[in-house]
Amino acid sequence: MADIAVESGRVAYKDAAARRARALRAFRFRNGSFHGLTLTAAVAVLVILGGVILSLIEGSLPAIRAFGFGFLYTSVWNPVTDQYGALAAIYGTLVTSAIAMFFAVPIGIGIGIFLSELCPEILRRPIGIAVELLAGIPSIIYGIWGLFVFAPFLQRHIQPALIAAFAKVPVLASLFAGPPYGIGMLTAGVILAIMVLPFVAAISRDVFATVPAVLKEAGRGIGCTTWEVVRHIVMPYARAGVVGGIMLGLGRALGETMAVTFVIGNADVIPHSLLAPGTTISAAIANEFTEAVGDLYTSALIELGLILFVITFFVLAIARFMLMRLERNVG
Amino acid sequence: MTSGVTVKNELPTKIAVNNLQFFYGDQLALRNVNLPLYTNKVTALIGPSGCGKSTFLRVLNRMYDLYPHQRAEGEVLLDGRNILDPQQDLNLLRARVGMVFQKPTPFPMSIYDNIAFGIRLYEKLPKSELDGRVETALRGAGIWDEVQGKLHASGLSLSGGQQQRLCIARTVAIHPEVILFDEPCSALDPISTAKVEELIDELKENYTIAIVTHNMQQAARVSEYAAFMYLGELVEFATTTQLFTLPENPRTQNYITGRFG
Repeated sequence: MADIAVESGRVAYKDAAARRARALRAFRFRNGSFHGLTLTAAVAVLVILGGVILSLIEGSLPAIRAFGFGFLYTSVWNPVTDQYGALAAIYGTLVTSAIAMFFAVPIGIGIGIFLSELCPEILRRPIGIAVELLAGIPSIIYGIWGLFVFAPFLQRHIQPALIAAFAKVPVLASLFAGPPYGIGMLTAGVILAIMVLPFVAAISRDVFATVPAVLKEAGRGIGCTTWEVVRHIVMPYARAGVVGGIMLGLGRALGETMAVTFVIGNADVIPHSLLAPGTTISAAIANEFTEAVGDLYTSALIELGLILFVITFFVLAIARFMLMRLERNVG
Repeated sequence: MTSGVTVKNELPTKIAVNNLQFFYGDQLALRNVNLPLYTNKVTALIGPSGCGKSTFLRVLNRMYDLYPHQRAEGEVLLDGRNILDPQQDLNLLRARVGMVFQKPTPFPMSIYDNIAFGIRLYEKLPKSELDGRVETALRGAGIWDEVQGKLHASGLSLSGGQQQRLCIARTVAIHPEVILFDEPCSALDPISTAKVEELIDELKENYTIAIVTHNMQQAARVSEYAAFMYLGELVEFATTTQLFTLPENPRTQNYITGRFG
């Protein structure tokens, strides 16, 4: 009786070992194919990115051959004579983005501080969600609103006041000179500011939340006011992260197309006044691609795209780098 | 539990806590606590985790005020004035009642600025005088010799024990009257712990001190008075010697002999 029990036990054990070996083989196979699939997905991103860069370079070769580095620092943009220079578009891109950051950074950081340090509990979620919704509005809507509502408002009320106010101030007089068109660099910059505001606000709120509570308590413990805690403890601790958030916002401002195209006026010149119409890289491409008949014209537009790609690539790389440094500090 | 207070003498009282109740939302965390902190004495608070020791400490500088839904009832008299009064200036209170936390909390700035920052909040001093105050504070916390040559390095570059003494220096620099220690050595190695304990022993000449600790040897070493708390109540308050050798309450007896907690 006992023998039989032992015998059957051994048989059962052998079976189990075989079953386990089968299961392990299946695991290995599944694990391997899972690994392969995810690897393919990850590599696909690199392939696509590389493809985009290559085709941008390939597409801009005719323009690069024709204009060389001169493309970067001449501002003539004349389809009739086939003369192209990117300076006006680069200038417009950088200036509108600078205006956007000028408004969005202080306001966004202010929102972040309020939400993380001061806001009463019941308001925290509604305001946070409202800020995030702002990021979800399609840019075409900002464009339409900018053109039909915001630009006329600026034209009627704000721009005449600006022109009058700065008329006698040496440098600012030329920045705010000329007729109030409504549309122009300043309008585009302000619309961009509204669009990047949620990025700056949400990221600064999140990085301020990473400041350990005990550090803030320590600040309170030696008698700091809220302002002193924010200024001397929260801000230095979160500095790298906030800069990263600003860079992400800047990346968006540089590449934003639709809303800017609506309100910038699309003049291929370098305007001396912020109130005058200008253009940006993305607005120029969006506007002119359908009418670009000549090969050189198309190629010049593609080279504009390449320049924008390079600019935003560096801005985002800096942003990543800053955020990485923040994570190292926290960890 | 006023019956738990067995010390009856005429020592000057720096802080008198009367009928203190503390709530986290609806949850009662401290039940009718009565406890004196005697001037220039070290009072240890012991008891199992969650018994309300740290909560009690956070009432004394009203740190709980930072958080909604936390409130205290009763009376906490600092030199005879009730600090639970809504009119109480919290910045002033926290300048008078300093706190050292469980984990070292150096500010994200240089060693020098960690100390100078607190001083600058209250006084505008010329550079030379400020240097002197910083040095005095660092000497007072027994860390001057170690940081003297690198005052402008980040406070975060120090070791854990040094960071904790830096935080003590920072607290001492603004001349508080009371210093609260919330398990100041629980993140430190034995050598750093010994240094901090030594420091507490020196500090009591000038300050009134309350220390929360899980380490009963530590309580016995550094304090003159000790309070045993359990489940939000003050069970017993006595001189440290008496509490550890002849506790009146059987629950105190059980805790200090390791039968629960």
